[in-house]
Formats: sequence, C-alpha cells, structure tokens
Amino acid sequence: MMPAAATTPRPQGGIQVRLTAILLGYGALAAAVCVLAPLVGSTHISLARAFDRSIPFADNVDAQIFFVARMPRVLSGAVVGATLATAGVVMQALLRNPLATPFTLGVSAGAALGAILVITFGATVTIGVLSPVPVASLAGALLAAAIVYALATRPGRTMSTAVLLLAGVTLNSFFSALILFVQYMADFTQTYRTVRWLMGDLDVGSFEPIVASLPLVLLAFAMFAVLPRSLNLLSVGADTASTRGVDVARTQRLAFLSSSLATSAAVSLAGPIGFVGIVVPHLVRLMVGVDHRLVLPASALFGAAFLVGCDLVARTVLAPVEVPVGVVTALLGGPFFLWLLVRKS
Amino acid sequence: MLRADAVSFGYGDSGFLLSDASVDITPGSLTGLLGPNGCGKTTLLKLLCGVLRPRTGRVTLGERPLAAMTRRELARHIAVVPQETHPAFEYSVTEMVMMGRHPHLGVFQLEGPADFEAAHEALDATGTAHLAARNYMTLSGGEKQRVIIASALAQATEILLLDEPTASLDLGYQLEVAGLLARLNRDRKVTMVLATHDLNLAASLCDRLVVMREGLVLAQGPTSDVLTGAMVRRLYDVDADVQFHQRAGHLTVVPVGRST
Amino acid sequence: MAARQKKLIAAVCAVVVLSGADLIRLARANPTAFAPQVQDNGARRIISLVPNVTEILFAIGAGPQVVGVSSYDDFPPETKALPRVGALLDPDTERIFALRPDLVIVYGSQTELEGQFARAGIRVYAYRHAGIGNVLQTMRDVARLAGRTADGDRAVGDLQAQLDTIRARVRGRPRPRTMLVIGRDMGALRGVYVSGGVGFLHELLDIAGGDDLFADIKRESVQPSNETMIVRAPDVIVELKPGNQPATATLQRERAVWNLLASVPAVRNNRVHLLYGDYLLAAGPRLGRAADTLARALHPDAFLVAEPKGPGR
Repeated sequence: MMPAAATTPRPQGGIQVRLTAILLGYGALAAAVCVLAPLVGSTHISLARAFDRSIPFADNVDAQIFFVARMPRVLSGAVVGATLATAGVVMQALLRNPLATPFTLGVSAGAALGAILVITFGATVTIGVLSPVPVASLAGALLAAAIVYALATRPGRTMSTAVLLLAGVTLNSFFSALILFVQYMADFTQTYRTVRWLMGDLDVGSFEPIVASLPLVLLAFAMFAVLPRSLNLLSVGADTASTRGVDVARTQRLAFLSSSLATSAAVSLAGPIGFVGIVVPHLVRLMVGVDHRLVLPASALFGAAFLVGCDLVARTVLAPVEVPVGVVTALLGGPFFLWLLVRKS
Repeated sequence: MLRADAVSFGYGDSGFLLSDASVDITPGSLTGLLGPNGCGKTTLLKLLCGVLRPRTGRVTLGERPLAAMTRRELARHIAVVPQETHPAFEYSVTEMVMMGRHPHLGVFQLEGPADFEAAHEALDATGTAHLAARNYMTLSGGEKQRVIIASALAQATEILLLDEPTASLDLGYQLEVAGLLARLNRDRKVTMVLATHDLNLAASLCDRLVVMREGLVLAQGPTSDVLTGAMVRRLYDVDADVQFHQRAGHLTVVPVGRST
Repeated sequence: MAARQKKLIAAVCAVVVLSGADLIRLARANPTAFAPQVQDNGARRIISLVPNVTEILFAIGAGPQVVGVSSYDDFPPETKALPRVGALLDPDTERIFALRPDLVIVYGSQTELEGQFARAGIRVYAYRHAGIGNVLQTMRDVARLAGRTADGDRAVGDLQAQLDTIRARVRGRPRPRTMLVIGRDMGALRGVYVSGGVGFLHELLDIAGGDDLFADIKRESVQPSNETMIVRAPDVIVELKPGNQPATATLQRERAVWNLLASVPAVRNNRVHLLYGDYLLAAGPRLGRAADTLARALHPDAFLVAEPKGPGR
C-alpha cells in the first residue's frame, strides 16, 4: 500500500463545526458555479437583456440562450454531477475500495445496452411523451442492478463484497459483449449515435428531462442521508461494524440500492459520464478527510460544481465545435490519477 | 451473565466448526478460550457476540436470547476487539475510537460532549491519548491494537470480547496489552472473554479457562484447575512443565518436548 | 528401429510420392484461372455491397446482371429477392465467391477485400462517397462496367436535367438560411445532426435554393448544441427522415419539438418542414426527386402550377 500522511489532513473543530463549514463552503462554490456558468459560453450574451421583461420571450435571443440553451444544461450538469459523485462515494464504502466507481457493478453497462437497443431497433417507438432512449437506458440500468442484487443477496445474510464485485464485473462483461453484438448489426448512423451517447451529453434543451429524473434522484439522496456513519463503520470491516451496532445487511442493501438508483437516473439523463464518480470523491477526501458524514455532502456539492465546470470547458474550449463532456472528464481524470499515483509512490 | 447453551455452528454441509459447546461467563471474570488453531474458539467468540447465529442451541445475555435483541442493543452490552482491523480509508485515531459511540447515537445525531468524554477516557485508559490526531494506518502493531481496544472501551459495555489480542505483537507490546487488559478488568470491572492459543498469556491473564480442541469443549473452570500438564498434552501433544512462577506471580507453561 | 516404425515411415513416404504430383500442381496453380472473366460486353454477374450503386445498376437496366446485394439493400423491390452477402463491416466473402461474380462493387475503405478479389482475379469497383458530381461519375463508371454505357449516359443526362430544371425554377428567389436536419432523437431536441458544408445533401440544398446554415463547417455532418441553433437562427428548418410519414399525432409531436427554439425565425414563421422518404437520403438516381421535394418545401410559390408531390418512397 502507499505510505500515508502521518496526520490525516482536516480542519480543526468538532464534527458540527466542520459539517457546517463544508455545507456553507461547498454550497457557496456550487451555487457560484451554477449561477455563473450560464453567463459564459461561445456566444456573448447580455444578462440585462436576458432578464428584460419588456422584450417578448420569443424575440429575446439573449433570454432564449440563457433560459433554453444554458440553464437546463447547467442544472442537468449539477444534478448529474452531484448524483454520480455521491454514488461513487457510497460504492467505494460498500466495496471497501477507493477505486470503485458508480459504474463498477454494471449499472452503466445496462443503461448502455438499453440505449443501444433503442437506437438500433426501436427508433420510432416513444413511450407516451417520453423520449425512448432515456427510458430504455433507465430500464437497462435498473435491470442490471436487479440482477446483481439478486446474485449477491441472500435473505437475512450480509452481502459478501467479493460476490458483489464478481457479479458486477461479470455483468459488465456480459452486457458489454451484448452491446458489441448489437453494434455489429447496426448501420453507420446508429453506431455513430451510440458512440456519441456513450460520451455523455448534458444539452437537454428543456427542464422536463431533469424534472422527470428528480423523483429517483431525491429518493436516492434520501437513502444517502441515513448512511454516512454506518458507512464509516462498514468501511472498517463488516464484522466490526456489526459488533458496533450496525445492521450490516440493511446498510449494504441500502447503499447498493441508493447508489444504483442514483446512477441509473444520472445515466438515463445524460449518458454514462465517466470519472466524476471517482475523481470527485478522491479530491474531496484530500480536502475534508475520510469521515463519510463530511465526504458525502461535500462530494455532492463539489460534484455538481465539477461537472458544470467540465461542461463549460466542453462547450467553449473549441467553439463552435463542442467536445462531448465525457471526453473532458476523461481528459481531466486520467492525468489526475497519474498524479495521485506519482504523488503516493 | 453471558451464556452459551449447547451451541453448534457450521457452514453448509461441510461439518461443524463447533459442536455442543456450553459456556457460562460470570460478571467480572476474565475468561480465556484456549486451544490450537481450528479448535473453534473464534467461532465461539463470534457466537457469543451475535455475529454468527448458532445452528443448534442458543446464546443468552442475562436471560434474554441474543437472537431477540437488535444489533444496536447488543452493541451497548458487548464490544469486540477483532484480531486484525484493516480500514479501507485512512481514519484518524480519534475517528476510529469515536466509531465505538455508534450504538449510543441516533441516525442523524452527531457526537456530543458525553461521547467526546467517553472517547477521551478510553484513549487515556489505553495510553493512546498522544496519538489522537495520528493516522491509524501509520501506527505500530501495538499502538493499533491499543487504539482498537480504546474504541471498544468507548462503546461503554459491560462485556469485552477479544480475538487473539496479542497474536501479531512483539513481546514488549504483548506485555503492555496484557497489563492493560488486566487493569481494565480489575479497575473498571469489565467482564472479558479472550480467545487465544498462547498458553502463557492465558495463564497470566485469565482467571477462568475454557479449553477447546477440534470444535469441542474439553474442560472449563478456574485456570489453576484446568491448566495442567495433562491438559497441555491433550491439546497440543506436547510435554510441558506447568508451574507457578514466583517472580511472575502466575502459572507458566514451559514446553519440554513432543509427546510420543 | 523397430519393424513397426519402419513400416510407418515407408507408408508416409509412399503417400508423399504418390500425391507429390498433385501437390506440385496445386502449388503452381494460378487462382485467377478459376475466376470467370469479365466479358467484353460488360460484367454479367455483378455483386454490389453498396446500396446506392445497386440502385444505380437497376436504374440503368442492369438489374438482371446483379446476382448478389448487401444486407441493407431494399430499393428497388427486386433486390429483396436477391442473395445477401453482408455489407461494410461483415462482407461474407465465402458467399460472394460462391456466387461466382465477375464484378464486385465494394466500399473504398474495404481495401483488404479489394485485395482479396484482385488476387482471385475478380474485377472490383471501389465506391467512394462524396458529392453529387461523384454520384454522376459513379453512374457512368458502373454503366460502362456493366456494358450499358449508353443507358448510363442517358440516366446521367436525365438526372442532370432534373437538377438543372429545379435550379432554374428557384433562380432569383431569396435563398433562406436553411438548417438541414438529418438526425434527431425521437420526441426530443437532443442528438440533432445536421448537414455541414460538404456532401451531396449540402449540394442538394444548394440546388433547391437554400443557403446551408452550417456551410462554414466543412464536414458532412455536424452536431449543433441548442445554443448554436438559437444563435445561428435559421430561416427554415428541414428534417429529412427515412421511411413513411407517421400518424398525424406523432407528426405533430415531432414538429412541436422545435417550438423549444422560440426565437428562431423558422419556428416563428412556421417554416419547419418534416419530410419523409428513403429517397431523400439516397445518393443515387432518385436525387432529382429529392431535390424537387426539397425545393417545394423551400420555395412553394415557385411550384404553384404543378400538383404537390405526396410523401412516399
């Protein structure tokens, strides 16, 4: 293992003080990023004009850009960033491994399979007013989570992290193979659209997809809220946690379900955006320590700011061409991990 | 106080790790579960703290069966010091010790003055107060073990179970930890059960012994009654001299040779 | 050495000697000697991996000479009865060889395949996708290879005339800034792909009297963000979709998706057109019809005298 710092870095003060400081500090950061991001883009807009009520909305190009193009994009970035980062923290605690990601247990592979099936075969099908790709990717993600859950759970018994990991990795491989197979049968356009979906896209255009994903996201966060201290204990060892009063089976299930729901919602909204779920938790731990009661809220807030920031870079760095946001997070994430590795060795 | 009545345990069809074991832990005692590797002492320990459920028989605390108690409730009465602790993240010593306060806190409750008090006391009692801000992973073996004991102490329970508490420690630390446990048992009246294969540790520390081999309890009772040369031969096929050592103040076991 | 081993060696030697003559003959054989040769009056057994070119072959009357088509061929209907031999990613070389072609139409990127057929002595035509000029050239090339040069020239002439007629019809009229959409997620304004400043669709738009909104981006397809579409503010939005026009409810819903871009002139002036038909995206003989449909959408007033064409293939 890597040699650790002699003293864990964290600001002084009781847990209440630190929690408050984190909520305020990271909250302010997230708010600032979300407020400023819609102001920045490849086209210059005047904020005064955008908020000028005297101009009819349909005529006000600045308002259109701000409210139709940029605001939904920033909001979906905040929701997806917060969700993936927190799901990553929970997954790392559940699997007792800092290298785990929200996608480790196959949820994103399931989502990708759902999306590619619809893109290749069902392009004319819509479910009510909902667009088929998000619905299919949600269904695929939940299916994958259900399969892993069924494989790794026995009633009344705790989950073995080894079995969980094995089930998830196996499902990942299996679904990836199915995806390759479907891709082989697709034509050029379908393949291109699939590949593009896999790179992530926050340009939702309206608030409806975000609102549609909120029930799942809020449910997941409600479950996240009761987990932090139990996750601390769980990450020291399952038996140890049990002897300290943690209902290990229940905590594991809650952690798995909440993380899977959150990831499913995020991926169906914007595609599988990688690295957010692992870079943000690591960065946050460097800044606030490892107590999950601090790491979870900090990751949610920092994750929101992080992804909105990445999307800002994605849509401005090579304007007018847009870089897919998943590419930006990967380009940032890769070197970050190399740096971590070098720093620790 | 803590009783196991004819408990047995095994995984699936692979036979029993522990068969028909009955143990009675009296308040204030320091009981040793003694035997060679694989004798079932760790299994018995896990049954006594409720981590494992017995296939037959039952374990009771007071008069209540463990199965009827929630984990939280149990954790307020029984604390466990495992053989090894490998946290997945780099918690500080204080954070590790504070984890012992979990059974006393509500879901959203943050630690209060009473909890900090308990933690500090535990750190003091184990002589680890100077390590409070240190990263747990950077401590020596002995220091780590004492921190874990502090964590269990912070849990403020009447009963403490320990699994091979000195197994991976150097001689100096072994004596340190043994001394600490004796002190805690004597001064704070903490009832202890410790599983060990170290004969001399058992002899020096425990006032009662439960001797086990291959999943069966061979004998139990006061140390001086149970720990004899004949018992050592039965357990380990080893000829040993079991004598009271004047200077040490307790029985010692000196192996002489393999029995033929 | 034991007697058994001696017998074994003797047997092996005998086999080698007896089949030696055959082995030598095999080693010296020329694979091209087995392949059918292209007749002087054009290829008689043509296999086409490229749907566009298959269409061209049938359009110039060389349909009967086609013995195999790609998995994606479906126009004209006669192709459905023909054996399928795979496509760009998965050409079934065994099947192709089994059909004993004397000419195989492949994609320009299938260089290995080309090499294989060349070694077997089978004539190959490599199709490279580009603009309308390239389509016309392909028509001429393929006609010549199929021994139907005259038919090919006539088809090219007809198509050229169609395009010229349309160009003339819309000449002088104001050219609207047009966004030609070639792909979009169903029911949402996401995953929008439009024609860039290169390729046959771009050229069609030009013929039909429209200015390509993304002419400055020299790519065949561009994926603009919502912001880009709002900023560039097209006067007309045309969506080209394959297949048949769907039920009215679906059509209205898909049309309504564009209302999100409320400030864009195309939406405000109700100049959003959803055009359905496989012919609209086929770089082949049906380009004339495609250009006509497109021109009618952009300049309806230029076509008042004629009956409006219905949707379809």
